[in-house]
Amino acid sequence: MRAINIRPGRGTALVLGLLPFAALAVAYLAGSALRLAENPSDKLLPALTTLAASIDLLAFTPDRRTGDYLLWADTAASLTRLAWGLGIAASLALVLGLLAGVLPVMRALLAPFVAFVSMVPPLALLPILFIVMGLGETSKIALIVIGITPILIRDLMLTATALPREMIVKAETLSASSWLIALRVVLPQVMPRLIDSLRLQIGPAFLFLIAAEAISSDAGLGYRIFLVRRYLAMEVIFPYVAWITLLAVLLDLALSSLRRRMFPWAEVGR
Amino acid sequence: MTALSISHLWKEYGDQIVLEDVSIDIGPRSFVALVGPSGCGKTTFLRLLLGQETPSRGRILIDGQPLPPEPGPDRGVVYQRYSVFPHLTVLGNVMLGPEMRASRFLGRRFGAARRALADEARAMLAEVGLAGSEQKYPAQLSGGMQQRLALAQALMMRPRVLLLDEPFGALDPGIRADIHALMRRLWNEVPMTVVMVTHDLREAFTLASRVVVFERPRDRPEERDRYGARLSRDIVIWPPRLAGRTTPYDTDRMPGRDDPTPDAAAAGTTRQAEGRTHASSPQP
Amino acid sequence: MTMIRLARMTLPALLLAATGLSATEARAETRTDFKVAWSIYVGWMPWGHAAETGIVDRWADRYGLTIEVTQFNDYVESINQYTAGAYDAVTLTNMDALSIPAAGGVDTTAVIVGDFSAGNDAVILKDAESLEEIRGRSVNLVEYSVSHYLLARALESVDLSERDVSVVNTADPDMVGAFQTPGVTAMVTWNPMVAEIAALPDANIVFQSGQIPGEIIDLMAASTAALEENPDFGKALAGIWYETAALMVSDTPEGAAARAAMGAASGTDQAGFEAQLAATRLFDDPADAVAFVTSPDLAGTMDRVRGFLFDKGLLGPVAASADIVGIELPGGVILGDPGNVMLRFTDRFMRMAAEGAL
Repeated sequence: MRAINIRPGRGTALVLGLLPFAALAVAYLAGSALRLAENPSDKLLPALTTLAASIDLLAFTPDRRTGDYLLWADTAASLTRLAWGLGIAASLALVLGLLAGVLPVMRALLAPFVAFVSMVPPLALLPILFIVMGLGETSKIALIVIGITPILIRDLMLTATALPREMIVKAETLSASSWLIALRVVLPQVMPRLIDSLRLQIGPAFLFLIAAEAISSDAGLGYRIFLVRRYLAMEVIFPYVAWITLLAVLLDLALSSLRRRMFPWAEVGR
Repeated sequence: MTALSISHLWKEYGDQIVLEDVSIDIGPRSFVALVGPSGCGKTTFLRLLLGQETPSRGRILIDGQPLPPEPGPDRGVVYQRYSVFPHLTVLGNVMLGPEMRASRFLGRRFGAARRALADEARAMLAEVGLAGSEQKYPAQLSGGMQQRLALAQALMMRPRVLLLDEPFGALDPGIRADIHALMRRLWNEVPMTVVMVTHDLREAFTLASRVVVFERPRDRPEERDRYGARLSRDIVIWPPRLAGRTTPYDTDRMPGRDDPTPDAAAAGTTRQAEGRTHASSPQP
Repeated sequence: MTMIRLARMTLPALLLAATGLSATEARAETRTDFKVAWSIYVGWMPWGHAAETGIVDRWADRYGLTIEVTQFNDYVESINQYTAGAYDAVTLTNMDALSIPAAGGVDTTAVIVGDFSAGNDAVILKDAESLEEIRGRSVNLVEYSVSHYLLARALESVDLSERDVSVVNTADPDMVGAFQTPGVTAMVTWNPMVAEIAALPDANIVFQSGQIPGEIIDLMAASTAALEENPDFGKALAGIWYETAALMVSDTPEGAAARAAMGAASGTDQAGFEAQLAATRLFDDPADAVAFVTSPDLAGTMDRVRGFLFDKGLLGPVAASADIVGIELPGGVILGDPGNVMLRFTDRFMRMAAEGAL
């Protein structure tokens, strides 16, 4: 039988899917054990017990200095920034993407500029942002917004212009004005795409968030990682990385289910 | 009174001439089928009537007035595809036009006005044989049902002219026969002029009161760009088909029942029976 | 960018770990190949200059060694690489030597005490003349760095504590720009940023490292294991340092040229570099360095430093006291746990230089 025709059963697929995770865990444990055997104070690959103690300290014990639970305080700070960034970016993208998608004049005005701006590497703008907007929350949120909005706008614009011309003409024969076409025909049809684009931008948004927090901050997931990096505290960094990954996955699942619940019609055609 | 008057119409795209000096008067409540080989400009002609495109030369009058330069609610349209909105339910699709006409900011009606409109929409859906499918999304409908929905959606606006762009071209023969019956009934009952583009001559002669043939008189490859299509024939069906009346030749055979929506077919047939009562009245 | 850096740090370590090899095990009995990491700072510029001008190769050849000198753009990264075992020696401060490699179980010896900061680190306030006015402000600094230590010492001097201010971690390359934004009113940083910021109209230096002389020490530290395997490595490092340092302070055209080159390499010019040098107590004479490292003051300094680190949780989150990491001083004095000595100060190689025994 050809390899392309061999399909795993349900159980096999589950085992195969778990295999890379197991391999990673085994590699970590083996590496950790080897390094710790050589140097019991080794910080690079801490033992599971050290990790557990560290997680307990971060998540369930108030900090000696501030009395905060560090992990939760950091998570709250980061997620607040992320929510603002994603929210502002999505709103901006929706308004500008729709304008450019529906009105040819706005498209002529915006499309070249957005295409240009979307090529600016946002991290290179960071020093400018910090000078213009200060070191506070504004510049961190602005970095996320600048980083992902142009891509969202372009995506929505493309989605809007890719709607069949027939559909727009049909709406015109149903007495729709430009505004009503945008509101009742184009907007609902680009919304599922906006949510999908947002899901794809969660990764970049976290990247920008962590980069901004690394430079100047007093709380946040990225702040903590780059702070403890000074003394190679992998027992803090590993749990934080895992937690950030988990948060991103959860956010992705939440958006996906939001899309399914809000736009059932988009699932029917799949 | 003339519903549509087209005189010396030219359509060019850059150097390419698509339509060349087309003139035709279309009377009120006629059912004109435009036929011709593919690429002969019949769809372009339809788009000009719709206002989706503007003529290069010549003019189009609708009831004596120049045609507005963009599509509007006086001219309904049904395409072969993409005629209905995938994000609205069947009921929502049919209500959309009146909602947008009445509410210019939100495009939605509420309360009693909405309930009245919903009742009207349900009646229209029953008329085209879609009763019971109100809450479905278009993607859950068969191709024939989608086209019935598109017709219902267009007719809610009570257009003076209904433009059909190969509306039934993608349907299976049995379903097509059903929807032909529906189409003829609607033409008989609704005060409108119908212009239909089709490549199916049989369909043209089954439905239309008049069949107009587009052809390029010079169609050698090197001539294609410089010479457009003209009207080569204009056939009026005899005995004349008039909206609201039926000729003895219109007795449709019972169509094959392979439409997956028996209620839709039933709706078509029942109305057909009613239509036949007119046949007893003497022909003019 | 930052993610790549993080990956670069952990991946080689993972690979090393997975194959069961460590940097030390992979080498033969008497090692002759050594790798040195350094980063840009006024007191460490001689290492780059020595590598460029062939001084490193000359001393390496003399002891039959190969010494590879690598410059890092990122100071912390160079220490992390050393701690992970990728380098045998690194330039760092006494405080970072204790909190990063030593607390991480890498037995480290301070081969050369190159200088101590005498003004290169400073507390700067905006629109305020005295240190007391720092109360209630938020202070931008690199947390857990020598700046943080300097702030703690500064606050102590006016009977304040860290609870009286709030600290905002800020990356050192952004300090100059940050100071010019309206929200920033207090900052602790080091040269060359201090010089740039002090030149701004509303900036006032209210405390600087010259007021705590000898507490912020810049070292060339090597792994104790590497030195044991081949003590010639330590001798070569000492030879390189004192030859270059002598050149650096000499009043000759060659000295001026060296200072100009080092200034250019650190992003300033000869005059700017000489200004930084003036705020640095450079040990170009090995006898002075021996005297410094053998003085009883060093024990007091290291005790304060380890107290600060313990207070900040930098000796490990589960450390019970500052004694967890042992510090060996010249003359056999040991601070903290004698069974876990991980940071050693020695006059061995500097004394050889002073005695002309290299």
